[in-house]
Amino acid sequence: MGMTRKTLRELYDYRNMIYMLVRKDLRGRYKGSALGFLWTFLNPLLQLAVYTLVFSTVMRAGIPNYYLFLFVALIPWLAMANSVNGGATCILSQQNLVTKIHFPRQVLPIATVTTSFVNMLLCMIVVLVVCAFGVGLNLAILWYLIPTMLIEYILALGLAFLVSGLTVYFRDLEHIIGIFVMAWQFLSPVMYGIDMVPEKVYHIFMLNPMTAVILSYRDILFYKTAPHLNTMLLALGMGIFFLIVGWFVFAKLERHFAEEL
Amino acid sequence: MEAMKREAVPENRDVVISVRDITKSFKVYYDKGVSLKDKLLFRGRGRYEQHQVLKGITFDVHRGEAIGLIGQNGCGKSTTLKMLTQIMYPDSGTITMKGRVSALIELGAGFHPDMSGRENIYTNAAIFGLTRREVDACVEEIIAFSELGEYIDNPVRTYSSGMYMRLAFSVAINVNADILLVDEILAVGDAAFQAKCFNKMREIKAAGTTIVIVSHSLGQIEQLCERSYWIDGGVVRESGTPREVHAEYLAFMGEKSAENRAESEAAEKAADAGKKDDKRWGSRETYMESVEVLDGQGRVTSCFHSGDAATVRIRYKAAHPLSDVVVGLAVYRSDQTYMFGTNTMIDHLGYAHMDGEGVVELELTDLALIAGQYTLDLAFHKPDGFAYDFWREASTLQVISDKEESGAVSLKHGWKFD
Repeated sequence: MGMTRKTLRELYDYRNMIYMLVRKDLRGRYKGSALGFLWTFLNPLLQLAVYTLVFSTVMRAGIPNYYLFLFVALIPWLAMANSVNGGATCILSQQNLVTKIHFPRQVLPIATVTTSFVNMLLCMIVVLVVCAFGVGLNLAILWYLIPTMLIEYILALGLAFLVSGLTVYFRDLEHIIGIFVMAWQFLSPVMYGIDMVPEKVYHIFMLNPMTAVILSYRDILFYKTAPHLNTMLLALGMGIFFLIVGWFVFAKLERHFAEEL
Repeated sequence: MEAMKREAVPENRDVVISVRDITKSFKVYYDKGVSLKDKLLFRGRGRYEQHQVLKGITFDVHRGEAIGLIGQNGCGKSTTLKMLTQIMYPDSGTITMKGRVSALIELGAGFHPDMSGRENIYTNAAIFGLTRREVDACVEEIIAFSELGEYIDNPVRTYSSGMYMRLAFSVAINVNADILLVDEILAVGDAAFQAKCFNKMREIKAAGTTIVIVSHSLGQIEQLCERSYWIDGGVVRESGTPREVHAEYLAFMGEKSAENRAESEAAEKAADAGKKDDKRWGSRETYMESVEVLDGQGRVTSCFHSGDAATVRIRYKAAHPLSDVVVGLAVYRSDQTYMFGTNTMIDHLGYAHMDGEGVVELELTDLALIAGQYTLDLAFHKPDGFAYDFWREASTLQVISDKEESGAVSLKHGWKFD
């Protein structure tokens, strides 16, 4: 417990490093491209266009305003996917820092997840604008977005801690995680509604913490109703569980990073 | 009373770094598999040897003190520094450090080529753990120190490598640390900037920063440090004032390299005698069988004090009688500066006659060189330059000195005051 407190204090001292890494990543990502930072918004819009084309024109989903139904779930999903995929490689890709300089290693997964979430926040502006023109906005329940995002952040951070540490020791994990994240997307109600899930496997579906998170976003933005409290609490519980496990696994693995790299 | 107490303080100054009996082993895998498949399927194949790099190192460093860690490659000095940096942790033993640690190990860590020098200062300083306010406070000082002037707002990718290193060094040295760890850093930039960095290190040391340096440049350690630790085979072999420790270290290295040379020469002879080599060429109608450097007592060595006498002894073998051999010698400093050259023609001795086996000796009565590393080129050639046997870096000389003279040569001198 003493170690945890020491690490937390050190992380607080290094808050500026987290801030600078996030800033560098967000600004550096599109540097040199003609449209620059606009890509942050263009990227989700173009993805939306592709999904809309496929699911409204070719494979009819039979859901009115399907493009919005998908969009409000896709943006949060991408934040999670980028956190886990990026988390898997964040230590490996910063080898030169990890093997040469001392800083709390937790900075790297935290910065990766935070970058994904800042990106999501920016995309949320687009989401809100598109929603306002599509199905309208219920301003009274918009504040539910804050706890929902917080829960998703906790979950993403826990998973990022877990995979970033393990990937250093098992390099294959990077590729396994790529596949896992893809499978996870199809097993979460991103492209379909929870009502399409067969009764038999419904409870198993609800064990997926992303199910609760995605349903909350959709309730708030698409159905304009408050999310279910019990699903949110379940997601929060699982998020905290993964954060604690991830934190301690990371703390144990972190001591030998420099030797493994 | 007060004054007397103060006198006694240097002995009892508070210990800032305390290293107690640290050990460290690395696993050296015969065939390392890092993928999951390798770990699961070939568990038996993960054979490794436990290589103990540190076998119990203990030392204390006081506030405002500078120490140097010296030793051969692989002796454990850099591993010790990594433990101090907290990049790695010892298997046993303890390290206690008081205060903020800054390390001049990886310069320019996290620089983004597309961002300006100024933006990179902020990123880089953040990696050293500075808050934004702290960076704001010292950013102008860093820019001034780097001498980059108006270039500071240009992207780093447009910098020359010298400018890049200047910026990186300026950040690392200007983050006010209590402990500064340095690994072979002062080989950076041009001579003027090096001198500036060196002075800056003296300055921050005087201001109370504790410094630990790992370096091959013994001269720099001698100029900055109160003590040197010679690490050999994972233990502290010798410690004391740099001058004492370095003299012993160099004497040891001199003997060792003479031994190695004898060994490698024997091996070379056993191998193909006519082997091509970019450091040695010629018709080999006559060739050098061996080259030895002897000290005043006739012992083979490669370590000399400035001003010592040295004799270069060449054993040669001529395939057929030759009467037009010019024997030449050139001395180069380790940075490839040509220090001195002569041959039998320049010395008005004419040509040497060689037939069968024989020995040529060249006596240098006064090695008027300042401390440093030198190499000898030796040549047998015709008056027109046609090479019989031209051997670049046939031998190396390590010159040590108990004086801190600077420049290229050690001129004989004396002072007189009226």
